[in-house]
Amino acid sequence: MSTITVTPERDVRPFTSTQAAAGAPRTTLPRVVRSEWIKLRSLRSTWIMLGGLVVSIVAFGLISAAVATGSVSTQGGGPAFAGASPVDTVLTGANFGIIIVAVMGVLVGAREYSSGLIRTSIAVVPRRWPVLLGKVITFLALLVPAVLVSVLVSFFAGTAILTSAGVASTTWSAAGVAGAVLGTMGYLVGIGVIGLCLGILLRSVGAGLGVLIGGILFLPTLASALLPASWDSVLKYLPSNAGLSFTSVEPVDSMLSYGAGLAVFVLWVVLAVGSATWALMKRDA
Amino acid sequence: MLEVHELTKRYGDTVAVDHISFTVRPGLVTGFLGPNGAGKSTTMRMILGLDRPTSGEALVDGRSYTTSPAPLAELGALLEAKAVDKGRSARNHLLALGATVGIGAPRVDELLEVVGLADVARKPAGGFSLGMGQRLGIASALLADPHIVMLDEPVNGLDPDGILWIRTLLKDLAAEGRTVFLSSHLMSEMEQTAEHLVVIGRGRIIADTSMADFIAASSSNHVRVVSPHATSLRNLLADDGVSITSAEPGVLDIEGVSAARVGDVAAEHGLTLHELTNVEASLEQAFMELTRDAVEFHGSVATSTSTSSSSSETDRRAA
Repeated sequence: MSTITVTPERDVRPFTSTQAAAGAPRTTLPRVVRSEWIKLRSLRSTWIMLGGLVVSIVAFGLISAAVATGSVSTQGGGPAFAGASPVDTVLTGANFGIIIVAVMGVLVGAREYSSGLIRTSIAVVPRRWPVLLGKVITFLALLVPAVLVSVLVSFFAGTAILTSAGVASTTWSAAGVAGAVLGTMGYLVGIGVIGLCLGILLRSVGAGLGVLIGGILFLPTLASALLPASWDSVLKYLPSNAGLSFTSVEPVDSMLSYGAGLAVFVLWVVLAVGSATWALMKRDA
Repeated sequence: MLEVHELTKRYGDTVAVDHISFTVRPGLVTGFLGPNGAGKSTTMRMILGLDRPTSGEALVDGRSYTTSPAPLAELGALLEAKAVDKGRSARNHLLALGATVGIGAPRVDELLEVVGLADVARKPAGGFSLGMGQRLGIASALLADPHIVMLDEPVNGLDPDGILWIRTLLKDLAAEGRTVFLSSHLMSEMEQTAEHLVVIGRGRIIADTSMADFIAASSSNHVRVVSPHATSLRNLLADDGVSITSAEPGVLDIEGVSAARVGDVAAEHGLTLHELTNVEASLEQAFMELTRDAVEFHGSVATSTSTSSSSSETDRRAA
């Protein structure tokens, strides 16, 4: 090997492109966020699920409110939701919304692992963490307004239905109501972020959904019911139980206080983001 | 410029890449050849910072790729053509990648035209054929006009038109002073495209040389003679260091003697020759010879046909 003449390294001719970015291009966090935004908005499933989220929260909330007034009869004949707090009634849709939010979050996190696109994403942003941050930011940019609007619509429209029918209703300024409504929004958004992080962490839509829906949303409730009461002091720190303490109006004795529950839940979200970042940075892609 | 120093990757007990060092220089097309499982893709992934080396380092323009201020504009890579989201259009795929270095729609549309995907640019990439996927992958590698281009099996699935296109493109990129590094299984393609070769087998570099030298070193270079006096000619030429084989009656394959000498000997003794040819080894023959011992999973047929003379040749050159 030696007969090769080497062209001087820096003799790089002007780019063949006429349109490439002028000057020295740089990869910055805002640009990575923009890249993630293009990815998120260019998938039809993003908009279908976002629409499904808004519709299910609002529709189930209004149906529940209508059922509670007695104007829509249930199979049992009597008024349903008797004894349920008006806030819980009008926000029934959040129970369905949480599943959609979970699926959305896990898909945003894990979808690139099933296609292999994640390797391209990391190759063009080899510092890696901006990719995760970009995903979280763009997901929040869609999720927060959708949750905000749908929860507020179902609360105000739902309570209006209850009030006009003359059954027990409530108002925004009633004790604990604003906190519960805002807490419900925060819980929905937080579960979405945890789902995104589980998707990155487990690199699989199926595994992410299994852990999130089975392990985080349902298992703690089941465990609270099955395990002796002495366990409650531990179980109340689980994400979904912590969520219960700041999403309902009436405090539940065995659960954490509003502030403590919120703080514990936020810690869970931070833990999820932290471990997903750590895994993304440390693993071979 | 790509520099690999003592790069090593272990997965448990398996050594995928074993202390390899080589340099890929600008201005020419360098081919990365090796049997399946030799460590080509692992090496490329380590250069891109996707896999972390167990030891050693890979440098892109003198520093780790992970510290590049604008990675896509520095090194454009195609690793897996199918690594695109099936639900996203080719155009949006490129827009998302380009956004990381501030490249927008005009350049993306220009490139879609260049790679011949303009007509399907807004259709979901899930419906693409392998060839179209390759074109999209090549578009993403060239998107930000990087001065280093690294492609893993770029001609996979391309039609003859596409193969000719990529060959011309890669040569042009190299002629512009860029660093071009590609791997391929297709020997004839590599032979026509690459000027320099890095050959890897079982995770080790077994050759780092120019294409011309690599082929010239092959023991498959020989003289073929077709003559009705083959037997007489064979006896006249027989000597130390000369190896003569005969695949069929009247045909001799002679190593160790020049074609001129064969012609002279025949003329001296009045022997008729119907054909006298210098047979040059192809890259494929040279490669098979060199990697015979380095192939991880080869069939039993391949083993039984290896001759003692050629394997000693391999040992000498590999050493």
